[in-house]
Amino acid sequence: MLGYIRLEVTRTLRDPAYVIMGFAMPVTMYLLFTNLGVTGDDRVMAALYVMVNMAAFGAIGSAFNNGGGIAEDRSAGWLRQLRIVPLAPVRVVAGKAATGMLVVLPVIIGVSLAAALLNGVRMEAWQWISIVLLLWAGSLPFTLLGLAFGYLFSGQTASVLNIAANMSMAIIGGLWLPTEAFPSWLRAVAEWTPSFGYADLSRKVAFGEAPGVATALTLTGWLVAFGILAVYGYRRSGRVG
Amino acid sequence: MTNDANDAVSLRDVTKRFGAVRAVDGLSLDIPAGQTVALLGPNGAGKSTTIGLLLGLLAPGSGTVRVFGDSPENAIRSGRLAAMPQEGGLVPRTTVRELVGFVSGTYRSPLPLEEVLATAGLEGLAGRRMERLSGGQAQRVRFALALAGDPDLILLDEPTAALDVRARREFWESMRAFAARGKTILFSTHYLEEADEYADRVVVIDRGRIAADGTSREIKRLVALSTVSVTAAGHAAPLERLPGVVSAEIRGGRAHLRTRDADATVMALAAAGAVRDIEVVPAALEDAFIALTELTELTEPAGPAGPAPRPASGPVSGSAAALTEVEV
Repeated sequence: MLGYIRLEVTRTLRDPAYVIMGFAMPVTMYLLFTNLGVTGDDRVMAALYVMVNMAAFGAIGSAFNNGGGIAEDRSAGWLRQLRIVPLAPVRVVAGKAATGMLVVLPVIIGVSLAAALLNGVRMEAWQWISIVLLLWAGSLPFTLLGLAFGYLFSGQTASVLNIAANMSMAIIGGLWLPTEAFPSWLRAVAEWTPSFGYADLSRKVAFGEAPGVATALTLTGWLVAFGILAVYGYRRSGRVG
Repeated sequence: MTNDANDAVSLRDVTKRFGAVRAVDGLSLDIPAGQTVALLGPNGAGKSTTIGLLLGLLAPGSGTVRVFGDSPENAIRSGRLAAMPQEGGLVPRTTVRELVGFVSGTYRSPLPLEEVLATAGLEGLAGRRMERLSGGQAQRVRFALALAGDPDLILLDEPTAALDVRARREFWESMRAFAARGKTILFSTHYLEEADEYADRVVVIDRGRIAADGTSREIKRLVALSTVSVTAAGHAAPLERLPGVVSAEIRGGRAHLRTRDADATVMALAAAGAVRDIEVVPAALEDAFIALTELTELTEPAGPAGPAPRPASGPVSGSAAALTEVEV
């Protein structure tokens, strides 16, 4: 299975869509949002706040890109090829999920490094470690949703769904604009989204607060839901015709 | 009915439908280990479906599929069964070495990677990405993937369709070396010459059934009919009794005799004083297929959807009966 993960990670790193959408764009957006027209204390705040949001946005994009690739793999005959080598199907899925968990790391680390080195963000070591770990572990529900899309839909549908889900997660979940700017009804909706919960756990740590239990439970709920969807999608696609 | 565990392949009364189409229709086939068998048939005959069933990629509607006495999934899992698909499987953004190396790594006792690359003629292409391979090169990579785990049975679905003449010969040289190590090979093809030259045994399938099963010599005897034609009139029936003749037909003022022994037929015509504007045309491959597909039509049971049955005493079916194992 390690060989499979290595191959899939290599493929992802060579994918221009991944490099641009899953790394270059979030890092660039981070540097733009924190340096254009923001001054003084606002700038220090923004450097930290937007760091978490853009790392989360990039990680969600990378996780979706990974799962959506399954639809492409299917049309390329790659899933069929995997079924005729001695690799248990469950290992293929687990390997693909593990790949998702690895390919979210560059953008999380990249945005964090940009924050520390270019924007002068300073935190305690435990805060840095907690934030990176939370952003990393918290990306699992999105990896699973990406797998579900990839298994359930054809290439084009899967990529449209990926973009739609990525954008709505980013906008409604308050990754691009803080939810404080939302009308109250939208803010209420936002707080139930997986992307809000995902980023909020790290934001709380960044600003020295304890992550909310309710937020953690909401995200766990999404994890279970997307996990069930991914298993369903996998089972359906793996059905022998 | 039991499947023999000693056989590399054992299909028992296997049926596979896609909607109303019976792609495989009551197929039974046993292949002892060590044989090189050609699955010969026109497009749509059920060759790829049969291979899909043997790989467990398709589930049979009825009947049993066994590979080395086990399910196809287990045969793959244990590394004994591998296949070369007709197309696809070469995932983009990987190099030849990465992909073959990965597949090789999933087997317990694979062949050395360099040996696999050399056998498939890929030494100079190890660093090349899949998306930059030509059709023939891609086919060699598929071959390398099938070979990598040193399986006991290899299934090849139209392996040489994308290859030029030279690459085709090189490919079969590699397969011969593989077979010489006691391995079993089942390949599908619609080239009669290929089946003739490389297979110990030829299984002709048409519309999901076995139309003929035997050595290539037997199959050729069955299908390699020359055509002798002379200017003639009257009835065809007496001509059918001439030596070698399997069927006769009179059209456009000429008698067209399909014969297994053109010499004997011509001698008989000469003896009868019937040689007028004689022409002898050797068997064409298309004729071979037509002859074989006619055979299955002749033996098809009458049914509302099937073609109208022809008299079973027809000349072609009479000559074929001894050689043909017809599955009904």
